[in-house]
Amino acid sequence: MTTLTVNGTEYPLDLADPRVTLLDALRDRLDLTGTKKGCDQGACGACTVLSDGRRVLACLTLAAQCDGREITTIEGLESHPMQDAFVRHDAFQCGYCTSGQIMSAVALLGENRAGTDADIREYMSGNLCRCGAYSNIVAAVREVARHA
Amino acid sequence: MTTIQQPRILGAGVDRVDGPLKVTGQARYPNDVNLPGMAYAAVVRSTIPSGRIRRMDTTAAEKSAGVLEVITHENADHLGEAPATFIKNPQPPLQDDVIRYYGQYVAVVVADTQQNATAAAGLIEVEYDRHEALLDLHDPRAERIKDPWGEDTAWGDVRTALNRAPVVIDQTYTTSENTNNPLGLFTTLAAWDGDTLTLHDSNQWPNMIQQVVAAMFGVPTDAVRVLTPFVGGGFGAGLRCWSHIPLAVMAARHVGRPVKLELTRPEMFTGLGHRTGSVNWIRLGATRDGRLTAIEHESLTTLPLDGDEYEPCSSVSTWSYASPNVTARDQQVRLNIPWTNFMRAPGDAQGNFALESAIDELAWEVGLDPLEIRLLNYAEVDPKTGRPWSSNALRQCLEVGARRFGWSERNPEIRSMRDGHELVGYGVAGVSFFWYQQPCSAKVIVRGDGSAYVRSAVTDIGTGTYTIMAQLAAGLLGLEVEQVEMQLGDSSMPVGTAAGGSGLTAALGSAVHDACGRLIQKFVDLAGTDPFSPLANVPFEDVSVSEGRLFRRGEPTRGESLARILAVHGLTELSADGNSTPNSPDELGMTPAGARGARFVEVRVDEDLGRIRVARIVTVNDGGRILNEKLARSQILGGTVGGVGMALFEDTVTDKDTGRIANATFGDYLIPVNADIPDVHTEFVGEADAFNPIGVKGVGEIGLVGVAPAIANGVFHATGKRIRSLPITMDELLD
Repeated sequence: MTTLTVNGTEYPLDLADPRVTLLDALRDRLDLTGTKKGCDQGACGACTVLSDGRRVLACLTLAAQCDGREITTIEGLESHPMQDAFVRHDAFQCGYCTSGQIMSAVALLGENRAGTDADIREYMSGNLCRCGAYSNIVAAVREVARHA
Repeated sequence: MTTIQQPRILGAGVDRVDGPLKVTGQARYPNDVNLPGMAYAAVVRSTIPSGRIRRMDTTAAEKSAGVLEVITHENADHLGEAPATFIKNPQPPLQDDVIRYYGQYVAVVVADTQQNATAAAGLIEVEYDRHEALLDLHDPRAERIKDPWGEDTAWGDVRTALNRAPVVIDQTYTTSENTNNPLGLFTTLAAWDGDTLTLHDSNQWPNMIQQVVAAMFGVPTDAVRVLTPFVGGGFGAGLRCWSHIPLAVMAARHVGRPVKLELTRPEMFTGLGHRTGSVNWIRLGATRDGRLTAIEHESLTTLPLDGDEYEPCSSVSTWSYASPNVTARDQQVRLNIPWTNFMRAPGDAQGNFALESAIDELAWEVGLDPLEIRLLNYAEVDPKTGRPWSSNALRQCLEVGARRFGWSERNPEIRSMRDGHELVGYGVAGVSFFWYQQPCSAKVIVRGDGSAYVRSAVTDIGTGTYTIMAQLAAGLLGLEVEQVEMQLGDSSMPVGTAAGGSGLTAALGSAVHDACGRLIQKFVDLAGTDPFSPLANVPFEDVSVSEGRLFRRGEPTRGESLARILAVHGLTELSADGNSTPNSPDELGMTPAGARGARFVEVRVDEDLGRIRVARIVTVNDGGRILNEKLARSQILGGTVGGVGMALFEDTVTDKDTGRIANATFGDYLIPVNADIPDVHTEFVGEADAFNPIGVKGVGEIGLVGVAPAIANGVFHATGKRIRSLPITMDELLD
């Protein structure tokens, strides 16, 4: 048995199959489907979650590696100002990349990498948005960073 | 009572009504649905582009852990023909042993977990008899289809005009294949209950999926319910019933459990179509002062062996500029490739790149400012028919854009502007987009508490349909936006059209408009039967609506709330159905004009490295009446990003020996990331369009169009190098 701690709740998981990624564990086993799968290859950022406060790609993290770590997903944010800023700045369209964008953006604040627009663009570039909401994502992150 | 009563609700930058669901991870996309007893599917794809399956060995897969079923052409259900729905849909998979392209589905494995299904799929061995494949656009053996849609157009005498023209531009422009790549992995979750079927499916047109699946599986249409309340983008990829859908349905029938089939990213490259590459041959004839006397535009695009595609690249040349002599012709070539399909601004994106590059070349040839030449040849009326446009603010787009951009500060000389190591170039392009609308229906219901809800089977792919239709219904019913609930993305609701062709806002909006008008009529009629109603004997024409109340126009105190009318008559709710069909250009005596736009781009090219950077973009568009400026702006921003991708990055590369797409991952197929996108200024101009009752044009696609030629034209201004082939890459700019 592995214990996954997600958003403060402990979930005992039978991980007899070591191939199960953190992403599939969240989505298929825990029904926490807010974390999205966009490529399953570590290239799009849609599955970004926080592991002990650091952003990681859940598709490249095996669930079995997460024993003892604190995982935070979009469901674990409690009315974070970033979520509100994303709505007001229309920083998404289809919404599929949004969970990953917001988790990345929240981590960015802690990394002190949201000082300039150029920094925001650079350090948000691991999160693809095919709808092309980038300018609005920068606007949302900038606003929250300034008030942080 | 068919006018919008609360203009403040429309046009306003109302936040997305589905926003809170999307920023909390609560919006359920098709692959987010998990059902009890659900099994998982994985597909096996062909590894040759043409031939037959000689032998398949599924023994190891069948014995693999957790496997419930393996389906190949040898044990697949015989399915019925897939009907065409505006365009063709792929015929049912696994019906024979013929391979038509690399990546075609040859088997599906169903297992208890995704891991077990994927692992077992890798154990299936397939032996093929490989036949020679047609993979090259210019292969003389490939079938060529001339005038594929009967839309080749000609007026005047192009040949003579070109012979006599003092200035001729004669060039070939090519665009690469692009892949839609919506971020959401397309998924079908199929669940049978007896003879009825429920699909949670990624698509842009639930009623189309319903119709095609019902036909293939021989069940009545209403026995199939397709649910698509949210979809992780489409950009055209969801406009056909792709083969993974019947595979999931078949698999669910075989195992007697719900089956989820989620495509992988590489499978998204072969299974959902892609934008055809194109060759555009353009000849422009002009006077020495830059006035067009002839436009000749021919295009060549690709088709799969067994599909069709509407991609009229040359058509932009029939409506973009005034010319007395025009010929526009398209041809398609059938190859052993995965399906070509609609991708944001099909045909227009490629054709506009060619035309706007050629116009730019003409400007340089005759020594005119590239902006001036576009205004000089402006099409005041539809050049083909001489009819007035339903609306057209292209001139304003160009003029306003030039001011915002600071076009007048441009030094007209090539290689004249620089900033350190970087050569600076300014480029412009104009856009005249096609018009498209299909029939659509909706139902609007007012509840006993005076709130309302709107139902239609259409889906919102991220464009903002939920929000703008709530605004529209609120405006027409005199309610607040928060009082209108939207219910979309369910094929069992009133029949809706595709979220495609930039046509949904006009189609659904007109249906909602119709329904609201009928609903108010019903309320007025109802009030008229109540002798105590303040509205008794007030004719419909004299009734206005505001703040949930009907009242006599000019006499606001003489009225009654919608809720009270329902209560008086003992009703819990009152509804009306609305329908829309496109108006007739002949009857209205006008040509419906799609959106119009202008792009101004500053590019910077590192002189030593050839590195290209887009430094800023001004995009001004005429989208008719804008229902929500915040969301419309997002559509344009998103299109602009797609345009940068088309210009500088996107290139689906097919290996010419095997027919395999060689870069089918996000690591290898490059799309713009956040750092690639500069400051983008967007602005809307124009007025309500005269062709539909709500005055909209649709802005879902136009944002993409014109970005690539504006960048290419800017690169020429910066470097003196005319790049006629997309994407523009560094190597082409190195000396």
